[in-house]
Amino acid sequence: MAATSPSPASGSIVAEDLAKTYGGNVRAVDGISFEVRPGEIFGFLGPNGAGKTTTVSILTAGLGATSGRAFVDGLDVVRHPLAVKRRIGIVFQEMTSDGDLTGRENIELAAHLYGVPRAEVRSRCEALMARMQIGEAADRLAKTYSGGMRRRLELAAGIVHAPSILFLDEPTLGLDPQGRAGFWKFVEELRHEHRMTVFVTTHYLEEADGMCERIAIIDHGKIVAHGTPGELKDRLGGDIVTVQPTAPSPALEALLRSLPGATSVQGLDGSYRVKSPSGEKLVPALVEACVHGGIGLASVSVKRPSLDEVFLEFTGREFREDEGASATDRAVMLSRVRDQLGRRR
Amino acid sequence: MIRELGALTRRELLRLARNPQAIGTSLLLPILYLLLFGQALNFERLIPSNIPGFSPLAFVRGAPSYFSYFAAGMTGFVAVTATLFIGANVIFDRLFGILKRVSSTPATASSIFGARLLAGLIQPIGLAFLVLGLSVVLGDAGLSGLAITAPFSLLGWAEIVLAIVILSVMFASLFLAIGFSIEQPQSYFAVVNTINLPVLLTSAALFPWGTMPGWFRSLTSFNPITLAVTVLRENLFQGASAYYPFGPGIYLLGLLAWAAAVTSIAVLLARRALAPRR
Repeated sequence: MAATSPSPASGSIVAEDLAKTYGGNVRAVDGISFEVRPGEIFGFLGPNGAGKTTTVSILTAGLGATSGRAFVDGLDVVRHPLAVKRRIGIVFQEMTSDGDLTGRENIELAAHLYGVPRAEVRSRCEALMARMQIGEAADRLAKTYSGGMRRRLELAAGIVHAPSILFLDEPTLGLDPQGRAGFWKFVEELRHEHRMTVFVTTHYLEEADGMCERIAIIDHGKIVAHGTPGELKDRLGGDIVTVQPTAPSPALEALLRSLPGATSVQGLDGSYRVKSPSGEKLVPALVEACVHGGIGLASVSVKRPSLDEVFLEFTGREFREDEGASATDRAVMLSRVRDQLGRRR
Repeated sequence: MIRELGALTRRELLRLARNPQAIGTSLLLPILYLLLFGQALNFERLIPSNIPGFSPLAFVRGAPSYFSYFAAGMTGFVAVTATLFIGANVIFDRLFGILKRVSSTPATASSIFGARLLAGLIQPIGLAFLVLGLSVVLGDAGLSGLAITAPFSLLGWAEIVLAIVILSVMFASLFLAIGFSIEQPQSYFAVVNTINLPVLLTSAALFPWGTMPGWFRSLTSFNPITLAVTVLRENLFQGASAYYPFGPGIYLLGLLAWAAAVTSIAVLLARRALAPRR
């Protein structure tokens, strides 16, 4: 995955052996390399504290790397931080719009700071507000907006200057499924219209599966897997059959390994994950073998390959969907702690 | 940079205009100082005037009364206290993510700092002139008030305006620098209070010159509030210049040196705080 092109293409993002260490021993990002191609949606997945936000902060010229290099839109982020900032848009995981300004004032402020031609500021803001469905609330203070409206306002402020690259750091955190779907609809439309490159970190694996053309999974600061969602799922080798015995059984693992169609067996917290090209065909044979062997079964489930399974495969941990809701505060807190740590160093 | 400065200054002004409570409270404070503190604390009544060798004019360095001396000092004092909380807004903007948003744009650290400074000067300068005007009105109303005994001079009033502006710039820069350097509001208020009290107490803003010991007079001479209020007193009171070793221009230069040094350091600290973190 390492990309060491001497002159990265415009619209691309290139990280070369990027590392960030806090306090001399906490390696938040541990020598990662990847390339995001112009115009693609690239997903950066990982649990809390994996190094996603730190990576985004480095790529957007908000945080210095301890070592390695990063290029955004063909520019070195360390040597040309202001030029990089002019070419990118960012939507942070926390709300960053000013609640004491109206929606319109927030977007206009962003337009002026990004240097949108004066003559276009008003028309661009009007068009964006209409598109983001906040036109009717344009002159209301942003602090009165609902969560979904506030997110759309964040997106509008991040793209008012029509950036060539858009960074989305957990952009749908805390939104309901409808709000998340709406947000992604806007992003997809914008990308098609402006050939925008989108770099997104998210907790929601189904979002990444549905939206991203390529994905990298980061864990403990290292990229553990990368590829298209299809490639990653193919690497699992088919369906996952999870077998939960009624009581611990030393014979069960050997029995599962002997089943025709079982390509691998992995023990996990008292249960077993069996990979098979066809889960449905494996289950009858599995049940019959257990009955014959006198092994009681509490449950048997078949899962099609998903990014949850991919995550489990490469990190050894489950990426529970319910982590997202309870993780909202934790993610924001972690980010702030990281910010404060970074500032003190 | 000018455009960024304009946009960010507008943001600060919009926020200020939408907070009438803060404006009302800031207006109330100097009025209370003048009405309560100024009327009650009258050193002239405390010291008998029939002491041999005692000169009331020397006591308040050429001012016609202690209240007139006090009103000029209170003008400088109010300009400083109105800047006290300017840095707290930086901390709250950081906590609410707004500073993160602004820092992620191409806006330079100088324009982020400059906008806060520009918008932050409105209150101290406005309140300083409110105190001056109100002090005159109090005198007209039969209470202890400010008597401007010097004849009108355009240069004199230009020096007065300049002194108030420079004093406000200096302290607004100082407290902004603290705001950019400190992350917790509690720490900010503790630091600001620790600075505010000694700076005020070692100035000649409120205490009559005649009551100060010699060493304390020397100490107050270098205090920026003293420098600013001396410019005011020399220009407001006829013959006051005879009680000061230098003309108002020299004090103005001293104040300018203070402001230049403090503002330069403040801009550097703001740049450091807003630079990509290491």
